[in-house]
Amino acid sequence: MNLFYFVAFLSVFFSLLVIFSKNPVYSVLYLIVTFFTFSIHYILLNAQFLAIVNFIVYMGAILVLFLYVLMLLNLNKESEPMKSNLLKVVGVIAGLCLLLTVAGSLKLLHVSDPVLLKNPDIGLVRNLGKVLFKEFLLPFEVSSILLLSAMVGAVLLAKKDITKV
Amino acid sequence: MSALITITILALLLLYLGLFKAKKALLPVALIGLMVALVLSLMEWNSNAAPIFSDMMLYDRFAIAFSGITIFSTILIIALSKDYFERISSNVAEYYALILFSLAGIILMVSYHNLSMLFIGIEIMSVSLYILAGIKKRDFASNEAALKYFLMGAFSTGILLFGVTLIYGASGSFDLEGIKQYILKDPTAVSPLLYTGITLLIVGLSFKVGAAPFHFWVPDVYEGSPSLIAAYMSTVVKVAGFAAFLRLIMFSFAPLQDFWIPMIIGMSVLSLLIGNVTAVYQQHFKRMLAYSSISHVGYMLFAIIALNGSSDNAVFVYAAAYSVATIIAFGVLILLQGQVGNDSFDSFNGLARKNPFIALTLTIAMLSLAGIPLTAGFIGKFMMFSRALSSYHIFLVVFAALNAMVGIFYYFKVIVAMYFKEEDRKELIVPIYFKLVLGFSALVTIVLGVYPDFIASLI
Repeated sequence: MNLFYFVAFLSVFFSLLVIFSKNPVYSVLYLIVTFFTFSIHYILLNAQFLAIVNFIVYMGAILVLFLYVLMLLNLNKESEPMKSNLLKVVGVIAGLCLLLTVAGSLKLLHVSDPVLLKNPDIGLVRNLGKVLFKEFLLPFEVSSILLLSAMVGAVLLAKKDITKV
Repeated sequence: MSALITITILALLLLYLGLFKAKKALLPVALIGLMVALVLSLMEWNSNAAPIFSDMMLYDRFAIAFSGITIFSTILIIALSKDYFERISSNVAEYYALILFSLAGIILMVSYHNLSMLFIGIEIMSVSLYILAGIKKRDFASNEAALKYFLMGAFSTGILLFGVTLIYGASGSFDLEGIKQYILKDPTAVSPLLYTGITLLIVGLSFKVGAAPFHFWVPDVYEGSPSLIAAYMSTVVKVAGFAAFLRLIMFSFAPLQDFWIPMIIGMSVLSLLIGNVTAVYQQHFKRMLAYSSISHVGYMLFAIIALNGSSDNAVFVYAAAYSVATIIAFGVLILLQGQVGNDSFDSFNGLARKNPFIALTLTIAMLSLAGIPLTAGFIGKFMMFSRALSSYHIFLVVFAALNAMVGIFYYFKVIVAMYFKEEDRKELIVPIYFKLVLGFSALVTIVLGVYPDFIASLI
């Protein structure tokens, strides 16, 4: 339990740093650390697969992509978009809506029944694999066509045309 | 199932042919392979299909009929592609392979029995099409079309997936039968999650078929993409999207008619109005076809509004008529763009004198799209209108009939330009493949119009 509180503290701490750091690149770096703590949470909850996906896809791929985009955008003081008053009003309204939603859902919150989880191993990779290779075998296999067509397309679009110079 | 396997293997085979520089063999191999796939899928007609692979797929008559018509249209379109892709770049084999990959996705879309299969099918189809829309790498219109299509498609897939998730949350099943059982258990007390899910699914699918108010990407994407790909998108893809839509609603959501019928009526009316009225103002043939395809979606939605056991038949006939006529129109468009370099209505002036055969086939196609008797389009519209009348949507039918009259106006603009406006022009050179496809399609249109029983009670 102590470990949980420690990791939870880290998550909150780093997510606050994401918001408060001035430099967007630091923000993304802190976001990566935040997501890493999420991965630890998933492992604590016995959800291996989610932990791995979170680690590989979110931390590894998407956030690194964010980082590249930020670098390419070349953000600095001059190119920062004007923060008009209208935008601020919109931001306040959106934030209050979020607050309302969070408050509403907190009101409905109650401690879940620990007996409810019949199979505590449900998040293990082995169980997922069993479902994937039994019931969902066909969609799993057919996804290969999707990946292949995306690959062919990516090569096709990225390759230089030799004929038309 | 065998059609799916054949088409996938065919696509791989074409990639290898491209690798070994067998350029000449590509088109014949593709055509023969597709014909084999067509025959294989038709051979399963009388086998009483049961869901296969733990209820993932159901290759029933519905699926066979719609995969038949999509494969058939693809054969016609690919036959038009002789020397077309070569002008774009040298990677011809990949283009064929991508078309076939998207066709494989379409086979899944018409035969799914599980929402996860629907999603994967739509994704396979869309990903290939995003690329195909942008294969003219140096043409800004093509780039714009690809980007727009990609963004819109990604959003709509996201919405669709969200809908699937909510439906799973409510019913605990991805299976069409499971969802149906959940609704039938107590149709008055289903979870509100399900309603939200159905709405999102309908929104996502209407993005894919291009029904108003989710149509705004259609004109730009059709105009920017290469004409051959636009032909593929406006026939095969549209029919497949519609088949997926109809299958979902017929299988699972029929008991909740009162909830989604008003939505579909709204979409249908909007599609008819926007499609037809905007098409009148177009100066270019391709853009006119794009708007007219929106209006045809409006007519096809009638079958869902008046849902009963034979709705699939009505959609099938309409889709067949629409596809064949649209292929003729795009075929002529490709000829015209390649040799005149322009597709405004003025460039049709005097075509009848120099190319009487082309003018005749295009006239038949336009008459069919407008819904004039003795063409297939008339039978399609007739079936749709009688469906809607049988469920007492009289105002809707009156509105649609008025719109059909508007439609006649802009379709006849082309015919008038070809026959009654004189202009000195060069004769278009028509390759033999084009002659075959155009003549055959025109023949099919007439035969279906005169003797519709041929396919009208198939499914």
